[in-house]
Amino acid sequence: MNNDIPVREIGPQGEVMAHAVDACVHCGFCLPACPTYALLGDEMDSPRGRIVLMKEVLEGGLELELAAPHLDRCLGCQACVTACPSGVPYGELITSFRGWSEPQRRRSAFDRAKRFAILKALPAPKLFSVAARFGQYAKPLAPALPAALRSPLDLLPEHVPVMEPSAEFTPARGQRRGRVAFLVGCAQQALAPNFNAATLRVLSRNGIEVVIPEGQGCCGAAALHTGARNEALRLVRANLAAFDPDEYDAILSNAAGCGAGLKEYPAVLHGLEDEAQARAFAAKVRDVSEYLAELLASGDLQPPLPASRPLTVAYHDACHLAHAQGVRLAPRQLLKAIPGVTVAEVPEGDLCCGSAGTYNLEQPELAGQLGARKAKNILSTAPDLIASGNIGCHTQIQSHVRRSGSPVPVMHTVEVLDLAYRGEL
Amino acid sequence: MSLKLPRLPEKWALTTTSRARKPASPGTPDNALAAELTRLLGDRKVLSSLPERRNYRYDAIAFGETPLAVVLPESTADVVTAVRAARAAGVPIVGRGAASGLSGGVVPLQEGLVISFTRMTRLDIFPERREARAQAGVVTLKVTEAARPHGLVYPPDPASFRTSTIGGNLGENAGGPTCFKYGVTGDYVQALEFVDEAGEVHELTRGAYDLAGLLIGSEGTLGLITEATLRLTPPPRHVRTLMAHFAEVGQAAEAVSRAIAAGAVPSKLEFMDTACVGAVEDYLHLGLPREAGAVLLVDTDGDDLETVEAERALVETACLEAGGEVRRAATDAEGDALWRARRSVSPALGRIRPQRMNEDIVVPRSVLPEVVREIRALGDASPFPVVQFGHIGDGNLHPNILFDPRTESEEAVHHLAHQIALVAIRHGGVLSGEHGIGTMKRDFMRDAVDPESLDVLRSVKRALDPQDRLNPGKILPGELEAPHAHP
Ligand SMILES: Cc1cc2nc3c(=O)[nH]c(=O)nc-3n(C[C@H](O)[C@H](O)[C@H](O)COP(=O)(O)OP(=O)(O)OC[C@H]3O[C@@H](n4cnc5c(N)ncnc54)[C@H](O)[C@@H]3O)c2cc1C
Ligand code: SF4
Ligand code: SF4
Repeated sequence: MNNDIPVREIGPQGEVMAHAVDACVHCGFCLPACPTYALLGDEMDSPRGRIVLMKEVLEGGLELELAAPHLDRCLGCQACVTACPSGVPYGELITSFRGWSEPQRRRSAFDRAKRFAILKALPAPKLFSVAARFGQYAKPLAPALPAALRSPLDLLPEHVPVMEPSAEFTPARGQRRGRVAFLVGCAQQALAPNFNAATLRVLSRNGIEVVIPEGQGCCGAAALHTGARNEALRLVRANLAAFDPDEYDAILSNAAGCGAGLKEYPAVLHGLEDEAQARAFAAKVRDVSEYLAELLASGDLQPPLPASRPLTVAYHDACHLAHAQGVRLAPRQLLKAIPGVTVAEVPEGDLCCGSAGTYNLEQPELAGQLGARKAKNILSTAPDLIASGNIGCHTQIQSHVRRSGSPVPVMHTVEVLDLAYRGEL
Repeated sequence: MSLKLPRLPEKWALTTTSRARKPASPGTPDNALAAELTRLLGDRKVLSSLPERRNYRYDAIAFGETPLAVVLPESTADVVTAVRAARAAGVPIVGRGAASGLSGGVVPLQEGLVISFTRMTRLDIFPERREARAQAGVVTLKVTEAARPHGLVYPPDPASFRTSTIGGNLGENAGGPTCFKYGVTGDYVQALEFVDEAGEVHELTRGAYDLAGLLIGSEGTLGLITEATLRLTPPPRHVRTLMAHFAEVGQAAEAVSRAIAAGAVPSKLEFMDTACVGAVEDYLHLGLPREAGAVLLVDTDGDDLETVEAERALVETACLEAGGEVRRAATDAEGDALWRARRSVSPALGRIRPQRMNEDIVVPRSVLPEVVREIRALGDASPFPVVQFGHIGDGNLHPNILFDPRTESEEAVHHLAHQIALVAIRHGGVLSGEHGIGTMKRDFMRDAVDPESLDVLRSVKRALDPQDRLNPGKILPGELEAPHAHP
């Protein structure tokens, strides 16, 4: 799309945005992929519509506050990126736009307090853990609270586990095949410590030694996607300092959102002095399922023990795995490698579950509609087990599956694999 | 582990346009029309704020004026209300589907009302009559999806069928790859309901004067189509796919002429030239032959496998004789992938240059080789990349001029487009096969249609829309200025 975005005034992020806008031919192929368009059916809440809105705000022809409600409703799920034949990097556009526009936003004191709390608590596992436990006690009060306060509580599991820090070094068992660095993630440590424990066990069993470098922190995605660019830059640089890509075969994450965040570093630092460093770093980043599937492909994956009975596993594609990172096959291949497991495809599988980072907290109503729709679609496959590769999807799906009265367990892909290795599946 | 089936409130619909609660338009309407419509229809169905309205001023090719108001009707009655209000206010009305049109059809040339049909999505299938009744906003693909469990499909298949609406398909008389054997949208319309410029509702069948036929392809200039009865057919039992590639575009066209002369009636017969193949490869990575000058994609289908195979063999021989190399799709999945490649051509071209001028000419099949070669030569002699693809079986070609509006002259683009249009006309062809005339090709109408016939078209328009209220400035060359491709 032709545009007059004042790239010079905005700087390197302006280039990123202008490039994305340029690439869009407004063909509308992305419309049917977009969850908010699916719910609302209007142009402003479609990817094409949002690209036009952002272009016009950037050009100065439209007030930011007028466009903001529609841009805020974007989940950042990047389903539109998968659907777009012209290769529009929508993810980079919306992320850069949020970073550029946030300092100019007029937000209510309540909104600002909420955002501050989210941004502080998410990347600080200990703080998050405390907050989550506090929330757990507040849960019985939920029905009496306004929606904005109720939604985060609704998402908390019934039982918030005690945090177990992971060992800084996990040796390889048996023949040593590789050495990787692992990003432990933030909220996930507090909400689902077993994701990391299972990941370490599975890697180690496959002869991979795992280092959890000191000084690492939050990947920065939450800050970035809510527009807190300076905060994000600080986090990104801390990680660049903590992980030396030359030391490892790969840098692994087991949370789709974080993995996508890490792979985004070059775009975040575009035009800055550490861009090259970010490129070298991002080139080594893999989702844990990608890495394990590479072992599977080369015949190096230890065969898992068969499941105790035939199991249907509904695999949910996390947006940040499928759309942002393009990882679809790997987790399915791993699940199928377990004898006795059949992988069920979820109807409307490309539609976001509504979790999308902090979306649940900011747009509870739309998130709720999407969550219920996702639960219904998943359960329609009559699964014995639900697997996905992202903590956000995990909590969202678990909460909506439970709400619909189903007891089907929801697990991380690696947890399923771990159970199979232990003969407990 | 046991499974208890969930009982959830039916708050969603499984179409692209659920009736989920939509956040109301913020603020108060800033003009009288928007205020009146909001009073009549409520703020859920009327968009009046600036960012909302601004997003209804474009289609897949051009930008125009921001409308005063946008109505998202849910029923024919809502359309009637909106049309009457616009008439009372004396402003023009533009009907809009998914805005995937490529000729500027939904681009408002003046301030007025846009009626967007994306929420009119009721769809009923009547298997015993082999018919579907669809409201205008039903997404094309949904008709086949709903009909398939009854052993039926809806054949018209524009490349945009995941996005485009039945209303828009009717507005443009859309075709697609299957139209060579199975025909275009208009061939599947049994009846339709429309609202005229005065706000009266009419139900038309195809008897007596084929008024329904007149509305089909009229690009919203004669009436607003609210519902249609569509003919469904059982899908062919067997489909075979073949891909052939050639060193040069003219050879591909020759192969087509030979195959058809030999008596083959493929269900789909499409081609794309080397630039298209490259753009699609960049998107889908299917291993298409990038080095080829042109690629043909062919489906033969039917209920008798022997005939289907025999027809594929006829096409194969024709391709080999024309100097091509042939690859048969081994599996359905491989065939599907090849067709996905073809459907992605048009938007994938955005990877080469940000903007394009899209032609939609149709020429007699006998002259195809000359026409594609002449267009290739015009392209080579110009500073712009010119690419070609299309439903070559019908002689429907889409030469596209790719350009960058920031650095290249739109006038030069327009000139080249005109030259290409003249090639078609010189060889006995026409200006539009399926995308419509809209504003993009309006000026070439004078070359294509003689003045007397143009007068007849004008009097038809006057008879049905005396005040020129319905999508003014489209199709017929006249007073209003066509918009530039971009703002
Ligand atoms: C990538 C791409 C590929 C395409 N491939 C094809 C193809 O293979 N074949 C093909 O034929 N077209 C193709 N098109 C063009 C376009 O998709 C079709 O013309 C389609 O029918 C338009 O449908 P729509 O719902 O988007 O209509 P719109 O673009 O919204 O409207 C098209 C026209 O119809 C009018 N209209 C819309 N709704 C109504 C209504 N209810 N009543 C009266 N008039 C109405 C509008 O005023 C306008 O003039 C393609 C477009 C793109 C972007
Ligand atoms: S599919 Fe891509 S090019 Fe087409 S409108 Fe959407 S973002 Fe733009
Ligand atoms: S990122 Fe997701 S929600 Fe946002 S525009 Fe794209 S498809 Fe829609």
